[in-house]
Amino acid sequence: MNDKHIEMRGVRKVYRFFSLDDVSLELEPGQIMGFVGPNGAGKSTTLRLAMGMIAPDAGEIRVLGHEIPRQQAVAKRDIGFVSAEMRLLPHATLGWHMDFMRSIYPEWDGSYAATLVKRFNLRTEQNARSLSLGEHVKATLLLALARRPRLLILDEPTTGLDPVARHEVISEFMDVLRDDSRSILFSSHNTVDVERISDTLTFIDRGRIVDCANKEDFLERWRRIQVQLPPGAVLPDVPNIVKRETDGHFVTLTTNQFSEGLLKLIGPHVTHVQRMNLEEIFVTNVMYHREARGQ
Amino acid sequence: MNVVTRKLIAKELYINRWFIAGGALSGVASILIAATGKMGFNIGALTWLTTIIATGVMLGLYGVMNERKEHALQFVLSLPLSIAEYVQAKMLGLIACFLVMWLVSSAAALVLVFAKDSIPDGIAPYTVLLCVFMLANFVAVLCGALHARSEAITSAVIVITNMGVSIFMFTVGPLPGIQEHMWAAAPVWSSTFWIVLGCELAALVIFFTLPFLLAARRRDFL
Repeated sequence: MNDKHIEMRGVRKVYRFFSLDDVSLELEPGQIMGFVGPNGAGKSTTLRLAMGMIAPDAGEIRVLGHEIPRQQAVAKRDIGFVSAEMRLLPHATLGWHMDFMRSIYPEWDGSYAATLVKRFNLRTEQNARSLSLGEHVKATLLLALARRPRLLILDEPTTGLDPVARHEVISEFMDVLRDDSRSILFSSHNTVDVERISDTLTFIDRGRIVDCANKEDFLERWRRIQVQLPPGAVLPDVPNIVKRETDGHFVTLTTNQFSEGLLKLIGPHVTHVQRMNLEEIFVTNVMYHREARGQ
Repeated sequence: MNVVTRKLIAKELYINRWFIAGGALSGVASILIAATGKMGFNIGALTWLTTIIATGVMLGLYGVMNERKEHALQFVLSLPLSIAEYVQAKMLGLIACFLVMWLVSSAAALVLVFAKDSIPDGIAPYTVLLCVFMLANFVAVLCGALHARSEAITSAVIVITNMGVSIFMFTVGPLPGIQEHMWAAAPVWSSTFWIVLGCELAALVIFFTLPFLLAARRRDFL
């Protein structure tokens, strides 16, 4: 149990208008998990629970082998946390923040920090209050990365960034991932960013985990199958269909368990089999689970 | 006390350095004005009181509420510390900030009382009580700000504690053991003085301890 970087079991957190229900997830060392969900799905709540900033009403959380929130101070020595919402201390400069972090973290890598300052085109003498959103995200990322943490928890770090800044930030994550012992839990509603860096995906919607699998598994399992039925023909009963759209003789089936056997079952009327991108898989998956839950 | 808590206390002193310096300077300047005569005394006493109260309010608002409002709290809570250590650092750090200004301003006021012939030394006990009251008042503001989740509640705490200064002046000033010695040539440390001081210190201890018992045990700090 302790070798996992994050382990959540049956975590529940109830607010007046929202509840996180029975959330379980595991992050192995070296794994990069994309935590994807629509706005208000519970991504930030889950990550804050992992950081000990809020406590669960039920369930168990362990991060880097430490019980959270009780042992959060020890666990956070090895966690880098960045959130799109997070701001630095407004009356202090970036340079002051760097000195502050260096004084707290013995592993602080000054030369790497200096490299990131240059790469992100930041100015150490600039006051945090005067940083733009993109600069702020880059600055918090710099402070998190230069301490060389074993685990990075990133809460929508690319939200609100322009494409260039997003590219810079994502490239930096890719660099971090060269070290196999590190792991990243990366929340976003931007599936393009998640698809680029993640090896595992967890979908969350309305406070519940709806699916979790390897990225390649998702991309292999999900297909859109187009069928053109001749007049009078009836489509056989096909299992594992999560969405069915009919337009006259044309039927589009979406499956989450694609196989050659499935095509054989449908018969000779298949006209086209289409791969789906992550965004399509995510949206279809979420809608399917909402329907299944009667929401 | 661990290294992160110590660094956070130092951080408060650094971040609030201009409030502290401005407050201390304003406190001393007010006393200098108070030394210029009767009119100056009234103006100086008023600005001295305002300085101490306003510095306390600013420290409470900027140190606690703004950190939460401007999402810098997430940054602080991402550091290797527990909620209890955060509360400890915040309490000790902001009290240290206030103490610098408070000590300078209080000392300046007592120097004025004892150095200026036109001001009777008998007012010294009342001055001490007023100074300690304002220290307890600040700790109450800080306690309220750390417990309150909304700006409205913090504002209410600030309004109530500000009113408390006026209430203190109008209730403690006329007390028999205080008022009768106020114009004496030498300070009289009456039993009333010690009772009021004891009450102030008790309130101070309560407001100082409450955040460690309640806010530090809060399950959700964001």
